[in-house]
Amino acid sequence: MTALSSLQLDALRELANIGSGTAGTALSQLLGRSVDISVPNAVVLPLAEAVEAVGPAEQEVTGVAIPLAGDMDAVVLLVFPVDDGGTLCGMLGVEAGTEDAISALGEIGNILAASYIGSLGAMTGLDLDLTPPQTVTDMLAAIVASVLATRAAGTDTALILDSELRVEGEECSLSFLLLPEPGGVREILARMGVEA
Amino acid sequence: MTPVDEIAVRMGEIAVSSAPGEVLLSIGLGSCIGLALVDQRRGIAGLAHVMLPEAIGGGGGPAGKFADRAVPELVARTSALGTSRTALRAVLVGGAQMFTLGGGGAGSALDIGVRNEFAVRSALSAARIPVAASATGGDRGRTIRVFPGGAVLSKEAGGAEIELMPGVRA
Repeated sequence: MTALSSLQLDALRELANIGSGTAGTALSQLLGRSVDISVPNAVVLPLAEAVEAVGPAEQEVTGVAIPLAGDMDAVVLLVFPVDDGGTLCGMLGVEAGTEDAISALGEIGNILAASYIGSLGAMTGLDLDLTPPQTVTDMLAAIVASVLATRAAGTDTALILDSELRVEGEECSLSFLLLPEPGGVREILARMGVEA
Repeated sequence: MTPVDEIAVRMGEIAVSSAPGEVLLSIGLGSCIGLALVDQRRGIAGLAHVMLPEAIGGGGGPAGKFADRAVPELVARTSALGTSRTALRAVLVGGAQMFTLGGGGAGSALDIGVRNEFAVRSALSAARIPVAASATGGDRGRTIRVFPGGAVLSKEAGGAEIELMPGVRA
């Protein structure tokens, strides 16, 4: 991936803003609570620096990975600190650390990704589908690097669109990442009329 | 234990050391492979954080990213510190299958972690460097620590640290 202009990064940030707004609304409806949404980051980084941009490498987190199918190759990745994932399950009446908890987090991932991707599709005209979520608890670096590796063959940089959702009044936040393959980034930018 | 200087070796990077008191470290290897080359007698070690099996179509970028480029580069960098290829022993950590996400180009029906390990072992075999120990496969992330003195440690997510190659931890 070549460097993106600040105009292009602004366009991607705006896309992430609207996407995470929609996802935040979906989470809020699911939990019956208010959800705060951070201003998203849109950064292009050398692969070596990509993990640190998401969080501490060694931190134990739960990751829900949802590969997209359709007009763009990308992976949606939700990352929660393990305890926050447990809190989220608690709010849904599911016991943390169980099989049910794993499928509940996968389902939350599905709902958030569907709303985010739905608004991204509506803005760009891209036809995007979700494939089933995969939920893993491990070191943050292992999760992020393993997802990036699947799309890294032809690029030395990663575009990370990162939004943070925080449930009001609880120690519960999650990062929502969209990790597109370089061709996918070009496709989005072309659809938004800001191609290089 | 004496305090040590940790040198983080991140995705696609390579680092070498012959300084007692340093440790080479890759945190959270998932499908990536931490490849350590160690000359225990001279106290020289190197670590590459390999992401993918081979550089296709020239595949630019850091040499440590691809197994086929990382091995010769790591041999060259450790040799520059005074070792010889025949004195080197390899230790592999990582190559787990965390997800089934597709992608990764040709041969993507096979998991990247498995392909990474295969490619690293092939490149080592071509360079005639024996593999002394490994902790690979499975579905958990791992961390590798490599001491120039010769010890190589591996720790799985949520597990205890194990000594893959015994040696001086300095």
